[in-house]
Amino acid sequence: MRTHVTIIDFKTAKPVEAEVFDEVTVDHFLEAQQEWRPIVLRAARELARRGARELIPQHLHWDWTSKAPQLNVLANIFYGVSYDGKLQGLMKVETVGEYCRCRLPEQDGKPLVYVDYLEVAPWNLKPLAEALGNTPRFKAVGSRLVEAAVLKSVEEEFKGRVGLHSLPMSEQFYLRVCGMTAVGRDVAKQNLLWLEYTPEQAGRFLSGVRKP
Amino acid sequence: MSPDKRTMTLNLTEQEMRVLEDLCVRKDVSKTALLRQALRLYQMVDARLGRGEKLFFEDEEKKKAELMVV
Repeated sequence: MRTHVTIIDFKTAKPVEAEVFDEVTVDHFLEAQQEWRPIVLRAARELARRGARELIPQHLHWDWTSKAPQLNVLANIFYGVSYDGKLQGLMKVETVGEYCRCRLPEQDGKPLVYVDYLEVAPWNLKPLAEALGNTPRFKAVGSRLVEAAVLKSVEEEFKGRVGLHSLPMSEQFYLRVCGMTAVGRDVAKQNLLWLEYTPEQAGRFLSGVRKP
Repeated sequence: MSPDKRTMTLNLTEQEMRVLEDLCVRKDVSKTALLRQALRLYQMVDARLGRGEKLFFEDEEKKKAELMVV
């Protein structure tokens, strides 16, 4: 699957055409590790030096290459966003597994698409880009990946139901930008906030992100 | 968006069909969607057992029972 989507160029505030795809390979994992991780670490060191500990990314230890064996498992689907031949974001979702059950009372026990990992290239994250003296490159990469998760949920007949555990620094993105419901802290998962989409919320999100 | 799909006929007993239909109602999905999920789960479990891992169910009293999968 390859779909054209728009993301926003930070400098010009104009939309540019990017691609969302699910044909993710080990090469994409290597690209993320080789091109993203050194920037994430450099930005984290700079933020620590400035005493801005609250801005240090909580995903700095992620290693996409360790997920290579999961590429052949039907329950896992990986998505990427690319622009101009460069990877701008990566996401892993699960359609079956421990966390693929709704917890919101009105949809308790129904299946959902679980977003296990979602990472945006460090040059698109404002705190990291600015820590290194740069302007962020693109907006809406994360929203495009969430949109892909919702569309997968619709395709699987889960009606747009999506769930995830959010890192603390991403909670406001999922609550305010994506409009998900905060269900509660999960003590079994590092006390991370569990968020969920109902079909209605997912529908509202899709109509919002698809506006020109 | 979705990849090409292949079609097959599945023969089930009355009882198996009733179980399938009941699960579809409870999970709010079609038979196709439910069986695709079942296949994914089976593949995932089989792969992990193949790597020497074990599958357990834990009850409310934290008692564990190993699930044997063929």
